Amino acid sequence: MSQQPHVLVIDDEPQILRAIRTILAAKHFRVTTASRGEEGLTLAATQMPDVIILDLSLPDLDGIEVCTRLREWTQVPIIILTVRDGERDKVLALDRGADDYLTKPFGIEELLARLRVALRHSAQAKGSPKAVVTSGPLEIDLANFRVSRNGVEVKLTATEFKLLAHLAANAGRVLTHHAILTAVWGSEYAEHVEYLRVYMRQLRKKLEDDPDHPQILTTELGIGYRFVLEG
Amino acid sequence: MSRAVWLYLIRIPEALLAVGATTALLYLTRPWLNTPTVALLYLLPVGVSTALWGLPSGIAAAVAAFFAFNYFFLPPYFTLQVLQPQESIDLVVFLVVAITMSQLLGATQASLARAEAREREARHLYELSTALLGLTDLESIARTIADRVLLSLPGAKVGILLEPGKGASRTEVFLPARVSEHPGRPSLSVPIQGMRGLLGEIEVWSARGGSASEDERRLLHTYGSAAALAIERAQLAAADNRAQLLAQSDAFKSALLSSVSHELRSPLSTIKASVTSLLGAEVDWDSEAKQELLEAVDEETDHLNLLVGNLLDMTRIEAGYLQPKRNWNVLADIVRSVTERMRRSLGEHQLQVEVSEDLPLVPVDYVQIEQVFANLISNSAKYSAPGSVVRIRAWQLDQAWLQVQVHNQGPAVPAEDLGRIFDKFHRVTASDRVTGIGLGLSICKAIVEAHGGRIWAENTPQGMAFNFTLPLTWEGTVPSVAEEK
Repeated sequence: MSQQPHVLVIDDEPQILRAIRTILAAKHFRVTTASRGEEGLTLAATQMPDVIILDLSLPDLDGIEVCTRLREWTQVPIIILTVRDGERDKVLALDRGADDYLTKPFGIEELLARLRVALRHSAQAKGSPKAVVTSGPLEIDLANFRVSRNGVEVKLTATEFKLLAHLAANAGRVLTHHAILTAVWGSEYAEHVEYLRVYMRQLRKKLEDDPDHPQILTTELGIGYRFVLEG
Repeated sequence: MSRAVWLYLIRIPEALLAVGATTALLYLTRPWLNTPTVALLYLLPVGVSTALWGLPSGIAAAVAAFFAFNYFFLPPYFTLQVLQPQESIDLVVFLVVAITMSQLLGATQASLARAEAREREARHLYELSTALLGLTDLESIARTIADRVLLSLPGAKVGILLEPGKGASRTEVFLPARVSEHPGRPSLSVPIQGMRGLLGEIEVWSARGGSASEDERRLLHTYGSAAALAIERAQLAAADNRAQLLAQSDAFKSALLSSVSHELRSPLSTIKASVTSLLGAEVDWDSEAKQELLEAVDEETDHLNLLVGNLLDMTRIEAGYLQPKRNWNVLADIVRSVTERMRRSLGEHQLQVEVSEDLPLVPVDYVQIEQVFANLISNSAKYSAPGSVVRIRAWQLDQAWLQVQVHNQGPAVPAEDLGRIFDKFHRVTASDRVTGIGLGLSICKAIVEAHGGRIWAENTPQGMAFNFTLPLTWEGTVPSVAEEK
């Protein structure tokens, strides 16, 4: 990996490509662009980018298909771009292994923030899986089932811990309701979003400084949740 | 007709009995009566028989009276012989007078009966027309006709078949039971003939079987015409409705097009102007001016984005596709997402959010409810002064409903406009002062109503507020989650 992080942008709109390339270059990213899905897949294999930005509506391949085929051989972070009405596709792509999403139109600050999170996540993934995850005042010992906040141990129920551990193990990534429910409660509960809502509220009350404005366990409206790695 | 004649014939014994009784009475009072008086008095049972039991009875009574008069009151008594030629003439005269009188009376009687029948028919027809008035669907038209036929022909069985034109579905009504229980062919079947062809048929199985009378046939024909009128009126009303809908939709589209082209262009002009100013080499903008131009671009793009969302929703509403994709959501999450997105474009307005995380879950389409909030907040900001407060609150009304309020400190809305501000293209203020298509609030209304709630606006002591309700139940249930200890 060179000094500059390498971003592959797959989008069929030349204006978007031009804007992203200009802005990211100014922010010291190395940028490669592709306007078709097949081209993007080839570039991903030959150039080995550090992160991929993928538009879901491509002329040749379905964006979800591109996502699935990438995940067959690489864990490179994928950030998908969608429009407001692409809820289904967004969730589908996240379930197929995409890490994060942005809804068009988006501000460039948002894009940069997502890129930073993705790059940190990919750096982490390259090392061995961590036994202890920390975020702000929170410390989660995945091996010993212990959670502490500002050094004080927090009592969690078994399900609460299982949920928190799953989120923390995937820190930085957007996890869909479906994915969390399947992992924590089992596939027969995959549609019971209400379970998740209730348990997330309980977790936030125990772990967040201000449960009404969560900083660590954030909601991705209509999609799922994210464990934010702070600091 | 044979039935009517038979009816009259069975009355003949009564006529004969009346003549017999008269004879007995006259025979007993014979000493005080002379022959012409007896002849006169014999006319009484003849007249009464005709009046009560019809012409055949009357004639029978006349003949019987003729013989009884001859037998008991003309010498030689107790024979049918006649002594004097004068008396033969008397007898013949009596018979002629009696029969003529019967006939005249009978004719009057018959025409009276006909008049009564006509009057009854007219009344039935009037009642049918009144009952059919205002009916617009075939099913109730058919049912009304069948009811009326049954009233006019007691004991009969009726079938109404309506098949007005191609494309229309067939409507069948049978009273009092399904047709399978009716044996054989109907005794009478009358077409319902409209201006442009056959609309259906009235079928009657009369109570006594056999074929129908002329009266019944005529009555059913008039019912048929009344039915045809009612059906055609219903069809015209439906066509008129469709035409009106089309015209409204057309008017809507052209209004939408004209305001959209205006509304999309105005933020675009701002963006274009700001960006070209910054691109232009001739002026060296100071950083404050640069910042201002860029903020304008930022705000206007958000504005455009909201506008495009509204247009999409409006198209869906017009096409009837606005079905919420519901799921259990935390209202506070939705509000947070909207307010974070809008905080910058709200400029100097202060946003106060009082929506607790602990409110029950709401089964809503979060994308749509986000749009409702975005529209209400942007509307509140648009009509209230910079620096004033826009406050969002939500509280539980009862087991099944949540109320949400978006309050602003803008001027009061005239009472007559409070109900209409949710109409398409309705604006309270003159449109050159404030931008917007006037679609936002009508979209809010459509979305809230699609969720089963209602939306209304009210003036408050400090300003005005938009209120709406959201359900807490989905298909009658609330989410059940087993709590852990």
